[in-house]
Amino acid sequence: MSTNLKIALAEPSVIVRNGLESLLKRLAGFRIQLIEIAHTDNIPESLRLHKPDLLLINPTLPGYGQIERIREESGCQQLKCFALLYALTDNRQLADYDDQINIYDNADEIRHKLERLYSNEPEEAVTGDTEEQQILSAREKEIVVCVVKGMTNREIADKLYLSTHTVITHRRNIARKLQIHSASGLTIYAIVNKLIALSDIESVSK
Amino acid sequence: MYKNGIYWESDKMSDLLCDNYHIVLVISRFGIPLGFGEKNIGEVCRQNNVDTFTFLTVVNFLVEETGTPLTQVNKKLSLETLIVYLHNAHDYFLNFRLPHIRRKLTEAISECREDVAFVITKFFDEYADEVNKHMLYEEKTVFPYVKNLLNNRKDPKYNINIFRKRHDQIERKIIELKNILIKYYPGPGSDLLNSVLFDIFATEQDLATHSRVEDYLFVPAILALEKQTNE
Repeated sequence: MSTNLKIALAEPSVIVRNGLESLLKRLAGFRIQLIEIAHTDNIPESLRLHKPDLLLINPTLPGYGQIERIREESGCQQLKCFALLYALTDNRQLADYDDQINIYDNADEIRHKLERLYSNEPEEAVTGDTEEQQILSAREKEIVVCVVKGMTNREIADKLYLSTHTVITHRRNIARKLQIHSASGLTIYAIVNKLIALSDIESVSK
Repeated sequence: MYKNGIYWESDKMSDLLCDNYHIVLVISRFGIPLGFGEKNIGEVCRQNNVDTFTFLTVVNFLVEETGTPLTQVNKKLSLETLIVYLHNAHDYFLNFRLPHIRRKLTEAISECREDVAFVITKFFDEYADEVNKHMLYEEKTVFPYVKNLLNNRKDPKYNINIFRKRHDQIERKIIELKNILIKYYPGPGSDLLNSVLFDIFATEQDLATHSRVEDYLFVPAILALEKQTNE
């Protein structure tokens, strides 16, 4: 299952931007949406508008040496930042960056760096799960059936003796594992996997 | 002569299409038929009464895969032409593309278990319904608003930010259908089903680009016009 990632690329050279774009878009395991920022003046505005997960930026760009300032100005406190390096750079200048990409890095190295960025996060936030984690638990299957029947979170909670909060967490996990977000999508899943019969679903038998 | 991107007015129309086959869909949305011989882009546009500058703006925006909103709206950009383009695109999705996929999909899954075929078709119909609502809003509310604005009759109760805020990504649900077919389709594989999948991939792309034209070209142009009208 691929990880969705919104990356902003602040880099004045169109050659470098296009090169990185074609490389990033081909990375297995990631579905990358790229926001190109060609003019440094547009950095704060672009970040505010698009709220990317990650900013790739050349630390030598005038006026943008400090990441804290970028985060503050753009209102993206959680923004991760990678330094995009053309040449050797003073380590102290790089201390605030989450990681760095050298323009001589190959696709594998970049992929590892992106994966590493997300390995520190709590389990729930990671979308690049291993295969067995994508299979639904018995409880999750029960919840799928309830959702397909058109029950509300409150009704599901009452029926299964859970809190609504737990039901919501389960539903979020189901959506993440299956990459299905709508009730009608879950209906197809439930019918295909024989979790429920068509005649048991009120909304379709109408 | 207009040179506002990779393609210029003086480039051959046939070269533009051969290099970028998805532009085939774009030219028909501008009302330009095939068979342009050796004529260049400017000649073909003039012959079909299409504003060349707007045509080139859209084409270059799509070919360059620009991922940012238009910042400087050129006064030469014709909103009338852009509306014709968007309207024809809606017509294409609603009256050709989606019904075409539905016919093919129903046939492709007819070998499958009856209950599965039923819910898949139902999913598709719900999706088509959503797209329909989404596009009808633009046809019934946004386009008339802009046309009035162009005639200096600004509706005081509406502005384009209302549209901008509610404009959702209509390709999301079709991505879901694609995922479901790829991961869970229980019937036998077939050439027809693969062909439907290809159509769905292409439609997903096409819808995403369509939204991009709306968000990054159309909306900024209207914002500029609103500002000008208020002054």
